[in-house]
Amino acid sequence: MTTPQILVDLLQLLFDLAVPAAMCTMVLAGLALRTEGGVNFEAGGRFQRWMLWSVILLTLPQFLSWFAAHGVPMPSQAGGVSSPWLAGIEGGFKSFVQEVIVAKLVSILAAFFVLKAALDGAQGHNPLGSIVAAIFLLTVSTTVQLMQGFNSGSQFATTDMLASLWNFVSGTILPEAAGLVVVGAIINYARQRPVMPLVYSALAFLSVQGSGSLSRQWSDEARERR
Amino acid sequence: MFENGLLNLTNWTANVIMPTLAGLFAAGAIYRFSKAQSYTNLSYAAFASLMCSGLLRALETFTSQAGANDPDRYWLSILTLTNWVGNVLLPLYGTLQVVMAVVHFAGLLERMTIGEAWVRNLASAMMCFGLSGILRLLESWIQNGAAGVR
Repeated sequence: MTTPQILVDLLQLLFDLAVPAAMCTMVLAGLALRTEGGVNFEAGGRFQRWMLWSVILLTLPQFLSWFAAHGVPMPSQAGGVSSPWLAGIEGGFKSFVQEVIVAKLVSILAAFFVLKAALDGAQGHNPLGSIVAAIFLLTVSTTVQLMQGFNSGSQFATTDMLASLWNFVSGTILPEAAGLVVVGAIINYARQRPVMPLVYSALAFLSVQGSGSLSRQWSDEARERR
Repeated sequence: MFENGLLNLTNWTANVIMPTLAGLFAAGAIYRFSKAQSYTNLSYAAFASLMCSGLLRALETFTSQAGANDPDRYWLSILTLTNWVGNVLLPLYGTLQVVMAVVHFAGLLERMTIGEAWVRNLASAMMCFGLSGILRLLESWIQNGAAGVR
C-alpha cells in the first residue's frame, strides 16, 4: 500500500525543517546556559537537553537510517515537498528562523544578556555567565554550521557528532576558558578570596582529555579485576 | 564562531582590562601602605595583572608535560606546579626573606608600622607621585622576564 501524497509531503516538510528547528533549539540552549548557573551548567539540565536535540535534528536522516538498517520501515527522504501550500509553509518557517530569530531576535537577546552582565556586576555577582551566554547566542548560526561539519554521514552520525563536540569543547573551548580562569584567580587574590581552586581548575581545563583517559583507565581496570 | 568570541573575550580581559586594573590595584596598595595596613595582596595582584598571558603560558607548560590523552596529564601538571613552587618560587621568596631580615635588623620597618611613621608617609608620598613610573617599572620587569632567564 502506498503512502498518501499528503503524508509524504508532511514528512518531507518535517525533514526539511530539521535544520531551522536546530537553530531554534540552539537559541533555547543559549538561554538555558544563562539560567542554569552562570559560568557553570546543570548536568542533565536544559542546556544539555537542547544541545542533544540540536544534534538529533542535525543528524535526523542518519539517525533514522540506523532504524532502517534494523528493519524498521522508514519513509523516503528524497525529493522535495510537492504541495505548493506546504512548500509555502516550509519557506515561511525557514525565512522566519533566518530573518527574524537569527538576524534580529538573537542579537536583541544577546544585548539583553550584556545588560544582565552589567547588572550582575553591580550586584556583586560574576558577570561572566551572562557574557558567555551572549557570545553563544551571537554565534548560533556559525555553531550550527560547525556542527553540520561534524556530521559523519554514517548511521552513528548522532553519537559521532556528540563525540566531535566533546573534542571541540575539550580541545578548543576549555584551553581558552583557562585564560579567563587565570584572570579570575588574580581578581580573587586581590579580593582575598580563594585562589587555588581556580588554579586547579585551570590545570584541569588544560588537561581534561587526559582526565577522561584516566577515568576510562580506571573503569577498564575495574572491569579486568572482575 | 563561538571559540573566536570566547578567545577575543579572553584576550580583551587578560590583555586590555587586567593591565588597566593593575594601576588601580597599585593605587590601592599604596593607599593601604600609607595606612599601615596589609598591602601585599594588592601589590602582587597588580604585578600578576600585568602578566596574565605569562601565567597562562606557565599553566600550559605545566599541563604539556604529558600528551593530550595521557591519563597522567593532570597529575603531572600538579607535580610540575609543585616542582616549580618548590624549586623556583620558594628560593626567590627565601631571598626576599633574607632581604627582609636585613631590613628588620636595621630597624627600618619599625618606622613604617607603629610609632615613627615618617618613613612610611614619605615612601607613600613618593609612590603616589610616581605611580605611573612604578607601573612602567613593573612592565619593564615583565618584559625582561618574557625574554627568559639571563
